[in-house]
Amino acid sequence: MATKNKHPDIIFLGQPNSGKSTLFNAIAGLKADTSNFPGTTLKHTHSEVYVEGKILNIIDLPGTYSLNPSDEAEKVALAHLFGEKPDLIIDIIDASILGRSLELTQELIELGYPMIIALNMIDLAEKKGIKIDIEKLEDFLGVPVIPTIATHGRGIKKLLDTAIQTLDEQAAYEALGWSRDVEEKIEELKQAIPDDFPIVGNRRFTAVKMIEVRKPFFIQTLKDMHPELKAVRDRVTKELEDRHGAPAYEVIAAERHHLAMKIFEESSHVVRGTKMDWLERVDDIIMHPFLGYVILLAVFLAFFVIIFQVGNPLEELLLRPVSSLRVFLSTHLNSRVLFYLFDGILQGVGGGVAIVLPYFVPLIFLMSLLEDIGYLARASFLMDTFMHRIGLHGKSVSPFILGFGCNVPAIISTRMLESRRDRVLTALLIPFVPCSARTTIILALVAFYLGPLWALGFYVFNILLLGVLGRILAFFFKSPSPGLILEIPSLKIPSLKNIWKKTYFQLSAFVKFAWPVLIAGSIVLALMQFFNMDNVVNVILSPLVEKALGLPQELGVTLVFGFLRKELSLIMMLQALGVNYDALLTVITNQQLIVFTVFVSFFIPCLSTVAIIWKELGKKVAFLSMALNIAVAIVLSVIIRAVIGL
Amino acid sequence: MISLIDAPADKRLRILEILGGHGIHRKLLSLGFHKNDIIELDSKSIFKGPILVKDISSGTSVALGRGIAQKIMVEIIGDKK
Repeated sequence: MATKNKHPDIIFLGQPNSGKSTLFNAIAGLKADTSNFPGTTLKHTHSEVYVEGKILNIIDLPGTYSLNPSDEAEKVALAHLFGEKPDLIIDIIDASILGRSLELTQELIELGYPMIIALNMIDLAEKKGIKIDIEKLEDFLGVPVIPTIATHGRGIKKLLDTAIQTLDEQAAYEALGWSRDVEEKIEELKQAIPDDFPIVGNRRFTAVKMIEVRKPFFIQTLKDMHPELKAVRDRVTKELEDRHGAPAYEVIAAERHHLAMKIFEESSHVVRGTKMDWLERVDDIIMHPFLGYVILLAVFLAFFVIIFQVGNPLEELLLRPVSSLRVFLSTHLNSRVLFYLFDGILQGVGGGVAIVLPYFVPLIFLMSLLEDIGYLARASFLMDTFMHRIGLHGKSVSPFILGFGCNVPAIISTRMLESRRDRVLTALLIPFVPCSARTTIILALVAFYLGPLWALGFYVFNILLLGVLGRILAFFFKSPSPGLILEIPSLKIPSLKNIWKKTYFQLSAFVKFAWPVLIAGSIVLALMQFFNMDNVVNVILSPLVEKALGLPQELGVTLVFGFLRKELSLIMMLQALGVNYDALLTVITNQQLIVFTVFVSFFIPCLSTVAIIWKELGKKVAFLSMALNIAVAIVLSVIIRAVIGL
Repeated sequence: MISLIDAPADKRLRILEILGGHGIHRKLLSLGFHKNDIIELDSKSIFKGPILVKDISSGTSVALGRGIAQKIMVEIIGDKK
């Protein structure tokens, strides 16, 4: 038993779309420190909360359908679960699909760790006509069950109280029995496990997993280390398979399934009306074979237009005080070095507030909204056909869509793809998806100076480029992808509170991590300019910047900084050229503006993206990604320059 | 016995068999698709795209690529309600 000298660990575990993270956020919102910045806590989010004078360390793991992992995200969840025994598991169940959810619940009960159940989305279940008798369910499972509605924060207090109570009791649970013949076989194998064998959970759980597992690596290891046990395992498995005429894992799965259905039927009462819920009707339109695509297109357009319509006036409004402050500084600061320094700070801070935030905030807000409604999975369904053309399938769509927010979480989310080939291919393409930083550049430069239609055109061009690149890459990555299997969660009415929380998380991450980089970058550039060091970099880069791209030599240094953060190139561009935002077109031409935007958009994934590709998929893929981006950016910029005649 | 890809959209179907490797099989099992489950097709995409399947027994909806759908064998058991 874990009598660690620290706060009790409570793990949140559940199937994807069970509302696990919403519940976690609702609880984490109670207090304390939540680390949820992509790139720092990749494995899981954890948070310390204070409940009734106790500090609990709560951990949110990626969703998993079962304790037999089929993709990278599930492996992360299970590695954590088996690696560090938690003091308590909170199993989050989507009450509206209770029958299926009980299969994972059974596995957790088999594991025997202390646990409680949050029967979430109980309102949705009732809407579907499913009435659940909580007491009966508790009797069947032998585990405390607390109904919750995470989006409204309902049931959370009781859930935490029960968690603390259960922690104090340190209860352990008995597996629920299956058919006698299956149980007999499990018992046989259980008895054969030697005392020095690494037990997971308990003997029975270990025996069941041994029957279920199909990994050649595990079976070979078992043969090398414990040949007698392997012999018993093989015999038991074969007897089960002969008797049931199905693979052993299916026999076990069927046992869990039947028991789950039995518990579901006996503890709940279904009065399923034939009347369709209005949400279902909306869903039918969204997923309609023709209208669905019209709506998808409209959603994309609206996404773009709204961000621009909100961001553009805000940007103009916020830039005014920044420019006047700059004028004030230039006339009132006598010392040149002081002026450079303050100007650097002003460009960094002002650029962040006035140029970046007006576009960044609406973008992450809309992204969270789409996610919350459940539209991302639907877009994946609709886009599956097109993704096949570039050698992928629909599941890669949601990493791509996430990439519009930020490439880093997008790369992490490729974990949900089953094959490494799909992951690598998707990760190589994600850096070509215009993230919020690049959208900011496109909107703040192209849309602001040349008009929104140009920016829209840029976007369309960008998406076409993704398609062409995917097509080319798929040529080199031939092995077929395993095909789409993706759950479509029920459509939900968005919760403003939830969306705001997500937006706030990302905004605060931006302010904490990205902003200092922007400010520091601007100051460094100011000092370099003061000491004339920027010239050295500019001269070195001039063959590329001046000869190949036809841009002013002074922009060379901004590209180097763009590797840190893309917005930095934008902010520093003004600084490097020594002009105010409204006077930009006096020093460069429209054509130069476009070439600059193209080059900056594609020339390299930003530092955090490279780092995350390295971490997730290895050094080789990271270098490949950089090389690919640099090559594409140079080729494209040169072609575009030639086309628009610079 | 027909494959899910050839199944009509206006009928109730029963899963008879899931062909294909154990990886796919297990994934479908864990998503709540079992032998003998009653299912319905919700939508077929016009671009020869994936199909949307609703499992009436477990209450879940899943999008399946055409390759996967081909491996699920079903029989027609009646009209959609």
